[in-house]
Amino acid sequence: MAGVLREWLFTTDHKKVGILYLIGSVAAFAVAGIMALLMRAELSAPGPTITANPSQYNVWLYFHGAAMILGFQIPALTGFLANYLVPLQIGAKDVAFPRLNALSVWLFFAGIILALLTFVLPDPPDVMWTGYPPYSEITQGNTAFYSFTVLLLGFASILGGVNFLTTIAFMRAPGMGWNQLNIFTWSVFAAFILQLIFVPVLGTAVTMIMFDKYLGTNFFDPTQGGDVLIYQNLFWFYSHPAVYVIFLPFIGIVFDIVATFARNRIFNYKMVVYGGIGGILLLAGEVWIHHLYVTGMPDWLRVGQMVTTLMISVPVGLMFIGLVGTLYKGSITFNTPMLYALSVIFLMLIGGLTGIPLAVASIDINLSDSYFIPGHFHYVMAVAGTFAIFGGIYYLFPKMTGRMYNEKLGKTSFWITFVGVNLVFFPMMMAGLEGMPRRYWDYSQFPQVEGLHHLMTAGAVLVAIGFFLALVNWIQALFKGQPAGNNPWGSRSLEWTTASPPQHGNFPEIPMLSKDWSPYAYGSSQ
Amino acid sequence: MAEPMKRWLRWAGMVLMLTALSGGMALAQSRVETQRVLPGEWQVEERVIPDNVSGWDHLWEEILIDITVIGVIFALVTFWFLFRYRRRDPDQEGAMPKLSVGQAVGWAVIPVFVFMADDFYLAAQGWQLWNDYRSVPEDRLEIRLESAMWTWDYTYPNGVKTFNELRVPAGKPVLLRMTSRDTIHSHWIPDYRVKEDSMPGRITYIWFMPKVPGEHVVTCAEYCGHLHSRMKGKLIVMAPEAFEAWYEAEGAKLQQAKLETTGGA
Amino acid sequence: MSDHAAVHEHAEEVSIWPAVISIGILFAVPFAFSFHFVYHNGLYAALSLGLGVPMIVMGIVGWVYEALHSEPVAEGLAPPAMGWFILAEALIFLSFFATYWVVRLGAPVWPPEGTVELPKLMPLVMTTVLVTSSFTIHFAEGRLAQGDRRGFINWLILSMLLGLAFISMSAYEWNHLLHEGFTPATNIFGTAFYTITGFHGAHVIVGLGIFTAMLLPALRGQVNEGLVKSGSLYWHFVDIIWFFVVSQVYFWV
Ligand code: HEA
Ligand code: HEA
Ligand code: CUA
Ligand SMILES: [Cu+2]
Repeated sequence: MAGVLREWLFTTDHKKVGILYLIGSVAAFAVAGIMALLMRAELSAPGPTITANPSQYNVWLYFHGAAMILGFQIPALTGFLANYLVPLQIGAKDVAFPRLNALSVWLFFAGIILALLTFVLPDPPDVMWTGYPPYSEITQGNTAFYSFTVLLLGFASILGGVNFLTTIAFMRAPGMGWNQLNIFTWSVFAAFILQLIFVPVLGTAVTMIMFDKYLGTNFFDPTQGGDVLIYQNLFWFYSHPAVYVIFLPFIGIVFDIVATFARNRIFNYKMVVYGGIGGILLLAGEVWIHHLYVTGMPDWLRVGQMVTTLMISVPVGLMFIGLVGTLYKGSITFNTPMLYALSVIFLMLIGGLTGIPLAVASIDINLSDSYFIPGHFHYVMAVAGTFAIFGGIYYLFPKMTGRMYNEKLGKTSFWITFVGVNLVFFPMMMAGLEGMPRRYWDYSQFPQVEGLHHLMTAGAVLVAIGFFLALVNWIQALFKGQPAGNNPWGSRSLEWTTASPPQHGNFPEIPMLSKDWSPYAYGSSQ
Repeated sequence: MAEPMKRWLRWAGMVLMLTALSGGMALAQSRVETQRVLPGEWQVEERVIPDNVSGWDHLWEEILIDITVIGVIFALVTFWFLFRYRRRDPDQEGAMPKLSVGQAVGWAVIPVFVFMADDFYLAAQGWQLWNDYRSVPEDRLEIRLESAMWTWDYTYPNGVKTFNELRVPAGKPVLLRMTSRDTIHSHWIPDYRVKEDSMPGRITYIWFMPKVPGEHVVTCAEYCGHLHSRMKGKLIVMAPEAFEAWYEAEGAKLQQAKLETTGGA
Repeated sequence: MSDHAAVHEHAEEVSIWPAVISIGILFAVPFAFSFHFVYHNGLYAALSLGLGVPMIVMGIVGWVYEALHSEPVAEGLAPPAMGWFILAEALIFLSFFATYWVVRLGAPVWPPEGTVELPKLMPLVMTTVLVTSSFTIHFAEGRLAQGDRRGFINWLILSMLLGLAFISMSAYEWNHLLHEGFTPATNIFGTAFYTITGFHGAHVIVGLGIFTAMLLPALRGQVNEGLVKSGSLYWHFVDIIWFFVVSQVYFWV
């Protein structure tokens, strides 16, 4: 027993590290989800309901946002999925630096521990996931814990980036060219380039607020020559690209799932990779001002970045054409992972397209910081992203455990969640249009949105039931699932050519690939 | 020249050409309504005060239609494929046709062209409304706003101060010059579709055009701590005469109070 | 290749050092900082430091030892990986410089009130020292490539001494300025000056740490070439950053 525990906790094997990431990030998701339920309970009626202390609500919201993005989605995508899949997909024994990988996951755990201390600290942070000064510098709350959580998780990401970029660049199986990579591997490659460039900027920004608050520096103090807006620029300079750090891997895994269950080649692979992923890489760093449309930045910046922001729809649109096109003349089945993946197309359409009015600066003047914003980003990130992650977990479940989950329960829980999320997040946008600002503990001055909030709270309960059933399904299948075989989906990709679960070292023999091998070689070659 | 090189150049040329085209199209579509005149000459034409509220509502509707059409097209195609290409026999495999180079390039370049045209069109429309938001009419009531946790303090030109209550006359543009004593707040009047942050160390502005008397909500849209959700105010648009009366009376009261304090000292 | 895989098939690889280092960091940095600066509890802060720092040191020693005795998954990947890491590091400095440029170019008067005259000669000497050390570490690498381990060690020690000299001068200068009443809290220039030079100095110290991790095993006859190459790459990077520090902070008035 102790041996098994040791083998898991201190492992340097990328598959086990990946599963550690999975456990940590799902735990963060569950706790942050419970915070969301508390918030929904508070907002179920105007005025104080379950807490009379607004700061209590603010702490829940802080934890919810920070933990969902930094503790759940980024680690689940670039930690769990990337770790588990990338070495398998490129036919490598492991990542380039296994011990560094273990350091990443442990720094991630340290960050999660720090974040969870929010609930026992005397003065928990209440600075929202954005941590804007001067508020974060004058609050009673412990801003240092916010900064350090970000720094630890950021450091883990940077080490992960160093590791994965090296791995993908130098450790592909003999014969595997760049145009033979899975879309998922490509998207991880791009996501980590973004992480390496932009995480340090966020790290610097949160360090500055900590220095200002506790060491007496003046970065954001206008009376001493500082400037409050510098932080927002640095923060969004990272945090906008961060949304593509989330988007790229999640759309990448959706591509792989769709190709597998449609048994089809990717439509116009090079367009998806170079136009889609490449285009996002190019544009991601030039649009951050769209989060600062109402802050009084110079007009030339605001109008200029309105154009670049709108243009992001071009590479994303190319990826959509590739994704929908992959269904063309396919042979489609609707297993649970596929249901999740397909729903991502629709949810991401709603989420992405509602980003378009936000991108138009003069329209955003009215919508910014209203409930429309949580509506937009929950669709695009919280729902589309989470569905992609859940789809990915179902998809890899037989590979990770050698067992099959319960298909019927999987589909039931999917539909419950699907209905639920639309009940929560569509009314959010409508509440925003009715004039309700976000981060409000009490909305009694907006009687017109009460009905919408009832809907949201009801939807949140459905969502929770749906996710809970998924968890039940996995735990049950882990112990009682039917043996799944090595390749239950009939995929052509390398990860399915080895045993389930793969042994240490992944492949009995390192695969040698021919020039016309492809992970999506359906139809033509048997 | 090497063959791949040539291919890339053709590609790049095509993209450039189409970009230029789509840009031109967008420009043509956005009827630029501003006039170019020499400095000092700008009373030539009576400028109509732009109405940001209906401007906003109009553009919003246009964008809503735009994104709905795009979304519905993508969704319908997806549904059709899902229905048409569902697996009929367990051994069936997909049969994606191999794209020729021309097809592959076309499937990238044509959508790029279409998407970009739409983007530039929206950007041009947005820019025009933006200019309306940022250019304030000359004949206006200018009020200073200082925000603080958790109050809105307004100061009128004659020195009258109000708290959380902004009284303005109907029929005259109102300009708020805003700053903050402590942290960032955001002065939002949903009914007039305007908001902008007020913050320490910087001065920002918004303006709006109240037309008919009535009451509107003012609310804080930037997170500012404990009572962020209780930081609300009222915008009271008054009939011009009523406003004038109130303004004079308050001004007189202020004068009186000043006299008294100096007299008493 | 394939017989390799066979050897590893059943031996699961574990290492406790990453966990030890991470938990050490958790105690030595966030906990110690918070106890001291947020909750003003000196005892707990000292305890956290006392727990964390030894864990980190132990972790690094254990890691280096392990690395010397196990086979890497793939050879020769350390220098490109260091390249990626340097990209990330460069962005940290870029953020600080960008902040500095924004406040400086937006300031009504510069230098702001309370700024003292910065020394001009000292930074020049420091530059010379750091540039020299870049050359010496390059020579050390060259010696290693020729298989001359003694020569490598000598040049490495020389580089470390130069690095130490640099840090001492920096400390001396800080001390001097602080005594004149110019602190990080004085004004925005003080803030920028101390954070930028401080972060740079911290990088020099990390570089010296890497050198130590090269030197100690080398004295006992063990050299990890990947570590040497990437360590020296890092040192050159720190050197280049210094040019920006000197030109932007000391000599742009
Ligand atoms: C995964 C996360 C994710 C993703 C992918 C996106 C994608 C986009 N986002 Fe979103 N966004 C967030 C997460 C995300 N966002 C978050 C978390 C916030 C709030 C942060 C906070 O304040 O707390 C936010 C806020 C936010 C704002 C700031 C609003 C404000 O605070 O005032 C804006 C403004 O421009 C914006 C725009 C966009 C745009 C244009 C895209 C585009 O990338 C979308 C592109 C996709 C499509 C357009 C659909 C598919 C394309 C086609 C079908 C092709 C044809 C389409 C056209 C030609 C239009 N987002
Ligand atoms: C990926 C990110 C993500 C995800 C998945 C979610 C998921 C949800 N979010 Fe969140 N949200 C954010 C990111 C996310 N959110 C961010 C960034 C903000 C802005 C923060 C800020 O303003 O700073 C925000 C803000 C936000 C608000 C706005 C509050 C305000 O502005 O005042 C609301 C309000 O309803 C909300 C609700 C929800 C709900 C109901 C869910 C639901 O989908 C959650 C459902 C999940 C669960 C219910 C848990 C699942 C249960 C289990 C796994 C099993 C149970 C476990 C045990 C039995 C132990 N969120
Ligand atoms: Cu003031 Cu929120
Ligand atoms: Cu953004």
